[in-house]
Amino acid sequence: MVRIYVIDNGGQWTHREWRTLRDLDVDTKIVPNTTAFQDLSNEEIDGLVLSGGAPRIGLEDNPGNCAEYLEKAEFPILGICAGHQFMARFFGGAVEPSEIPEFGKIELVLLTANESLFEGVSKKSIVWESHNDEVIRLPKDFEILGESKNCKIQAMRHKKKQLYGLQFHPEVEHTEYGEQIFKNFVKLCEK
Amino acid sequence: MFDGEKFITKTVPTLQEDIKDKALIAFSGGVDSTVCTALVNKAIGNRLIAVHVDTGYMRKNEPGNVKKMMKEMGLNFRFIDASKEFYDALKGVEDPEKKRKIIGEKFIRIFEKVAKKEKIEYLVQGTIAPDWIESGDELRDTIKSHHNVGGLPETMHLKLVEPLRDLYKDEVRKVARVLGLKVSERQPFPGPGLAVRIIGEATPERTKIVREACDIVEKEIENAVEKKLMEKPWQYFAVLIPIKTVGVQGDKRAYGYTIAIRAVQSVDAMTCKYSDIPHTVLDTISTKITNALGDKINRIVYDVTNKPPGTVEWE
Repeated sequence: MVRIYVIDNGGQWTHREWRTLRDLDVDTKIVPNTTAFQDLSNEEIDGLVLSGGAPRIGLEDNPGNCAEYLEKAEFPILGICAGHQFMARFFGGAVEPSEIPEFGKIELVLLTANESLFEGVSKKSIVWESHNDEVIRLPKDFEILGESKNCKIQAMRHKKKQLYGLQFHPEVEHTEYGEQIFKNFVKLCEK
Repeated sequence: MFDGEKFITKTVPTLQEDIKDKALIAFSGGVDSTVCTALVNKAIGNRLIAVHVDTGYMRKNEPGNVKKMMKEMGLNFRFIDASKEFYDALKGVEDPEKKRKIIGEKFIRIFEKVAKKEKIEYLVQGTIAPDWIESGDELRDTIKSHHNVGGLPETMHLKLVEPLRDLYKDEVRKVARVLGLKVSERQPFPGPGLAVRIIGEATPERTKIVREACDIVEKEIENAVEKKLMEKPWQYFAVLIPIKTVGVQGDKRAYGYTIAIRAVQSVDAMTCKYSDIPHTVLDTISTKITNALGDKINRIVYDVTNKPPGTVEWE
């Protein structure tokens, strides 16, 4: 059984991420973001989800030990919302308050056809958003995978490592291909 | 995938172990507390005492229905009419968070009184995941204080037991179906009741208005669903907005409050889409409400907000 933990950065949908993984028969649990990397390592996890966070955490705060996970992990990591924003900042990108924040229903446009995380996802699809801040400059070694009308970096990945960031929320019911994206992430972790 | 049967098999023995003596369950008659009651009843039998508090902010005919339900389930129950107490406590209170906290504390004080009299140590609540998530904690922002979590007073003398904490409503419904409970498909109703469907002060007069409006919305939407005019919403109700606008009723100037119609689609309440109610149905609801409520209500609006950015209830 593949083991993927959810790092709790205080998001409203952290528990939903856990539920989505559990529904996919993943061995999962929610762990505080203060957990040491060594402790996660000792549990032999296959992947991590960095949850969204309490207001503005992605913009300026240091969410617990997320930096350590991003630095040391050799397994795939999926950063969602604040988790995605922090991932960008950690690798040298920039996060700013959104000129036009997005809440609820938004159209996501994928920019690449050959990305395993988006296998089986339509080029255009409905995703659910809830953010006041966003990544405005991509870190070095990252590429953009998807955009929306008002947010150019909706999805990104590291060019060499399996580090993914999503501004939208694949874990909620109303994101059209949310479960598919999680399935794909689980597959990446199984490898 | 979540399995209701497995959940029951796992939970009942845990409850037997955790609850060593008599327990009291806060029984509202909704899906969560009813499922919780059935589970604990399986575990400890009539050591469980179901307490229903009529806050005065209940839906039309609800107190009668709840009494009937408690009897049908063969529960050892107490029915407490505390409406006057709740109305008094909420007098002059307009802030939604204050309302929720006052209601939460009132509930607990009433339960404590029963517990003291009957020597009960445990309080069972049908708390589910969105209740504690939205109530906030050290890490999470408070969206709204659910009366059973964020509304709990700092000091309380009962030990809390919450077997459904990790479940969402769709999962609770699965458990309800396995248990054969009639309430399994019932729409959610907030613990603070109609008090959070009245913007501003929740006076007894305004409660009467919103109760009637809610009843009309419920009946008309259920009727439309039955006729296959629309999909069944997750939740559907009326909200009283105490803003007066000008109208004309019977060649006479009217100056009454506004009612908003709210209906949403969801499975877990963590995200919602507003329901697509056909205009003909909206029209019937509008006419019925304004006719039934005379000079009190002369304007009806339709809430077309998703969650986020909105929440299901307005407060």
